[in-house]
Amino acid sequence: MGLQHTRRGRLVALIGSVFICGCSGIIGSGGSEAVDDAVAKELCVVDTPIRRLTRFEYNNTVRDLLGDNSNPADVLPPEEEVAGFNNQAGALTTSDLLVEQYLKVAESVSARAIGNMDALMEGCDPASQGSDACALSFIERWGRRAYRRPLEQEEVDRLQDVFDWALTDPDLGTFEDGIQILIEVMLQSPSFIYRPEYGSDTPVEGDVVPFTSWEMATKLSYMLWNTMPDDELFQAAENDVLLTGEEIAAQAARMLEDDRAKDTIRNFHKQWLLLTQLDSLTKDTSVYPAYNAGLRPLWEEEIQTFIEDVILRGDGSLETLLTADYSFMNEELANFYGDDVLDPVTGTELQRVQLDPTRRAGFLTSAALMATHANLNQSSPVFRGKFVREQLMCNTLPLPPNDLVIEPPELDPNKTTKEQFEEIGADPSCASCHSLMNPIGFIFEHYDGVGQWRDQQNGKDIDAVGEVVQTEDIDGTYDGAIELARALAGSTQVQECVSSQWFRFAYNRSVTPVDTCSIEQINERFAASNFNIRELLVALTQTNAFLYRRAVDVGQGGAQ
Amino acid sequence: MLRGTLFGGTVAIGLPMLDAMMPRRSSAQDGAAPKRIVFWFTANGTRQDVWSPPASMDLSGHPMHASLAPFSQKLLFLDGVDQDVAYDSIGDGHQTGMACLLTNAEILPGDLFCEGSCDGATPLYVGWGGGQSVDQYLADEIAKDVVTKFRSLEFGVQVRSSSVWSRMSYTGPDQPVPHREDPNQNFNDLFGDLDTDPFELALIRKRRRSVLDAVMADHEAFNKTLGSEDKQMLDKHLQSIRDLETRLDAAGVLGEACQEPTVVLPGSSYQQNDQYPVTGRAQMDMLVMALACDMTRVASIQWSRSVSNVQHNWVPLRLGEGHHDLSHYDDNTSDAQADLLEINKWYSEQFAYMLGLMDGIQEGDNTLLDNSVVVWVNELGKGNSHARRDIPFMLAGGAQGYFNTGRHIDFGGESHGKLLVSLTHAMDKPVSTFGVPQYSQGPLSGLT
Repeated sequence: MGLQHTRRGRLVALIGSVFICGCSGIIGSGGSEAVDDAVAKELCVVDTPIRRLTRFEYNNTVRDLLGDNSNPADVLPPEEEVAGFNNQAGALTTSDLLVEQYLKVAESVSARAIGNMDALMEGCDPASQGSDACALSFIERWGRRAYRRPLEQEEVDRLQDVFDWALTDPDLGTFEDGIQILIEVMLQSPSFIYRPEYGSDTPVEGDVVPFTSWEMATKLSYMLWNTMPDDELFQAAENDVLLTGEEIAAQAARMLEDDRAKDTIRNFHKQWLLLTQLDSLTKDTSVYPAYNAGLRPLWEEEIQTFIEDVILRGDGSLETLLTADYSFMNEELANFYGDDVLDPVTGTELQRVQLDPTRRAGFLTSAALMATHANLNQSSPVFRGKFVREQLMCNTLPLPPNDLVIEPPELDPNKTTKEQFEEIGADPSCASCHSLMNPIGFIFEHYDGVGQWRDQQNGKDIDAVGEVVQTEDIDGTYDGAIELARALAGSTQVQECVSSQWFRFAYNRSVTPVDTCSIEQINERFAASNFNIRELLVALTQTNAFLYRRAVDVGQGGAQ
Repeated sequence: MLRGTLFGGTVAIGLPMLDAMMPRRSSAQDGAAPKRIVFWFTANGTRQDVWSPPASMDLSGHPMHASLAPFSQKLLFLDGVDQDVAYDSIGDGHQTGMACLLTNAEILPGDLFCEGSCDGATPLYVGWGGGQSVDQYLADEIAKDVVTKFRSLEFGVQVRSSSVWSRMSYTGPDQPVPHREDPNQNFNDLFGDLDTDPFELALIRKRRRSVLDAVMADHEAFNKTLGSEDKQMLDKHLQSIRDLETRLDAAGVLGEACQEPTVVLPGSSYQQNDQYPVTGRAQMDMLVMALACDMTRVASIQWSRSVSNVQHNWVPLRLGEGHHDLSHYDDNTSDAQADLLEINKWYSEQFAYMLGLMDGIQEGDNTLLDNSVVVWVNELGKGNSHARRDIPFMLAGGAQGYFNTGRHIDFGGESHGKLLVSLTHAMDKPVSTFGVPQYSQGPLSGLT
């Protein structure tokens, strides 16, 4: 069975319209494997792994497919977390438990779905038009949305057999039973659960193939929305007009205006900024009486609303994300931040507020981050430094060596946290790594273990001076997080880190050496847009890594 | 109490009727209760200076294990058993401690998980565990004799994530097994059937069989279109569907003790730190009942994961930090050591609770505990050094007298692979080596 569709000669159109970086000059003519390898490498094109829907994507997809908002996939086993994200194609494994739960999720979703037969039938009345006719139209129409492509005739035939069985089974027998069973089967189909991308069967060079419009619609929707395509994308696929870079960029720009882009923006930042850790946060309320567990969801909502506002409604720039002097708070949150909030706030709804620009800078100093990267009863220069190094600068810090006994000094309540941690940093066995983290953490010392501003600790003035070393472009001494935030926003290392994080998240895979020219292209466009995240997302739809793959080698006994 | 509500119909009926309506091929027909094996995992090593029992095996005054005193004659404390293979393997202390624990195999190379020194110059990444784990080996072997409702049951208590740090069971190299972590879902998955009208149950099974047949036909066509790597994964997916269908009719033995357990379920908050004890208790209750109902012969319960940083706020703590943070203090920090004792004492109490449940279920002349071997494992011996030597291994129950219990044995540096071999012998599925042969030359001597 071949699942490729709408194969037409579009070689000319493609070559004319798509930017091929470092064009090889090698004109492929079905040569040897080695030639194909060379061509693909030259064009920065790799194999595209099959992707399994994450629980988040599954939930969003049944929401859009059936109006089912129950997040049924929450019962599936958690995704494997690799390279900071839970959507990395190569890492997602399958298991008996997963398959068992797919069955049960499909049962509950399909049972709910037939509660609204009118929505499923879209006007086909089995009583007047016949149940077979309505079943067939359902299979073709709904199947196309569930599989995100037109069904093969063989697939239609098999599903018709399923419907016939349901209708003739003495224990089932109603039209609704048949539709329910069809949904149950289709939700367990690999064509629903997985996102295969075969590419067109017409190579542009070597074994490098573009994607079909149907595949491109799905690529775009899961990348930018974390869900299935909408009607407009499906229509574009039907019209076969998702072929050129311009067509794809235009769709991407439209999609970023849609509410569904929020899901993706939030999903990315939840993982990138480690907001997942907020759920399990605990604080010592004898040290932090202002803290209660109800603040955690508010902190998360604050930082997510701010990020979403900047990216989707604001200027979209990385600089604003890191340095803005405004945020979104309700009364309870504003009370928590105290004097840092310059506007009066009442009520439970979050609203935009002006912040003291000498105290707060973008998401960097938000309570969500400051409290997460802190201890139970004190701030943690180590965790904060580690966060900046790993998440914002894409450094990966070594863990303490195997078999090393770690002996942090006794903490002294008469010293500031900075003084205490300077002792740790001074220990030669720790210094080589902790000199990379602790001084960056010191720069955040005005924020206590729950993220509230402080001028003093243990009767001593806060000293928020720290020296940043071993970076590509922001080595120096900084006094306070506002200064550091500005430096980070202007750092090429940080900018490229952000684009590589988005690359991994958006493409569901790690960066490989073959991706070099795609990465360069993304970084150039990101820079040209003054580091606008929206533009970065559009740029991610324009690389060869996104637009092409190497043809599937089905090997022996493969596709017909 | 939450009750199974699959497809709505929940007519409660007496168990004898269920039993009569669903005769199953099982060992009960052979007359003898089956052997079971349960792995019990806690993290971050232990207080090795306190862990061992006294020579008398009287645990009543033991600072860590006092609650195990009633079972002392059914326990085997193993000192001096090392994870030698973990020192050959790539990966950091916790990664190797976890991935080698039940596999006795080195971690696979790969680019998935950062080992530590992963900065630009010398990136070090590792993949998943490199071999089948002993629980999965036993599940495979037992599946050749009998079809149970579940091939094996892997329960987790707030494991939360999926990585080489959080998986100890592998169906094969590179094939980690996830846990059932939601007690609410577990209740439905395990006991929903007991609550369902048998006629309806038969319909559900028939329906599932037909649905799965259709899904499999679809998969077979689909898988042919894939490149080799994708095909490998999808073929495994398909194999799981086949296996699921095979097990649809396996309802377990409805023995006298088998009934819907009374469980306090934590609701949607089962992942919250302070629900850890409630979640764990619910999981233990259900795990033991699943064994009593012969839903599986092979099970595990994993408390958190390696590097567990659970905040044990329900025991008296002096420093009040997470478990892993506490485990990194040096031996002379008395507050941290006191906290670690409290945490491990609490785990010992939970172990005692589960052993008590198992010992309270009579199966002929034996109890469920006597018919089982429960193996307490840990990825480390000691937290602050990441030592994977002198792991605090404890066996409970004798696997129908295979193990000579009520003793403490110091092996003085034997490889833990030999313990895994011993377990295969105890379960009547003996192998001569398991995982890396060098570290598993036959069973540990002196256990039987």
